[in-house]
Amino acid sequence: MSNFTFASIQPSQVQEVDQADETQSDRPWIVIVWNDPINLMSYVTFVFQKLFGYSLEKATELMLDVHHKGRAVVSNGSRERAEFDVYRLHEHGLWATMEHESQ
Amino acid sequence: MGNDGTRVAVKKNGPVVRLKNGKFKIDLADDHRRLLTQLIEQLRDSLTTTTDDANLRRLFPTAYNNDAKKDAEYQRLMRDELLESRLAAIDVAINVIAQDDEITTEEIDAFSRSINSLRLVLGTTLDIAESDHGSQSDTQQSDGSDSDQTGEGDEYLIQKELYEYLGWLLEWTVSAQSSGL
Repeated sequence: MSNFTFASIQPSQVQEVDQADETQSDRPWIVIVWNDPINLMSYVTFVFQKLFGYSLEKATELMLDVHHKGRAVVSNGSRERAEFDVYRLHEHGLWATMEHESQ
Repeated sequence: MGNDGTRVAVKKNGPVVRLKNGKFKIDLADDHRRLLTQLIEQLRDSLTTTTDDANLRRLFPTAYNNDAKKDAEYQRLMRDELLESRLAAIDVAINVIAQDDEITTEEIDAFSRSINSLRLVLGTTLDIAESDHGSQSDTQQSDGSDSDQTGEGDEYLIQKELYEYLGWLLEWTVSAQSSGL
């Protein structure tokens, strides 16, 4: 597994914080997994279970949302948490992005 | 999303099983092991020698869909770490394929991630689309009535066979991994 630790992203490394970030900082971020034609349905379900501890039923429901609706929100939280989850999903080859919840 | 693996999963005893002690065993013929090693080494070469290969794009997705500035910053901080993670998984996968021993959860994880990476690259090369699953695209590509295109069609068929083989292998791997959750 990855030796990634989120401590690798330090606040000092962020060079600029625009004003929009400041006003939106109290809004949670959501992590979205998008449909793609290559990843196996079973693999996506397994990754959701493994990374987020979801039950088979919950992971399957999210996978089917991705498959049928084109996307599913798989986690939410602080920007740091969302970036961590996006990174782990990318490690597993899933197409994940993050954005503010109400965007 | 794809489900190729289920279409070809016909072997009664799969090539990847979870043992009672919680470890895993991979049972592949020697020629399959050589093929997988060759493919994974090619992927490692591509990852270490090129930075702008469009066929690798699914291995380095955007993180911020609607904010190019934030995404650029994210990629600057995380792309190298993601690359290192992929290369580390590839090294483990090559070792796993080369041996016949029992393998750990961490090793089977690196193996499945590497097989999936291969599928993502090969699927991108083949321009796999949602509509390809269960369609007649293979038949159309392999028609071969135009002799000038036979070579190209053969190459497509070989790559498509590999793609489906990797799907079959990944399906069994995930099945074994899931049984341990």
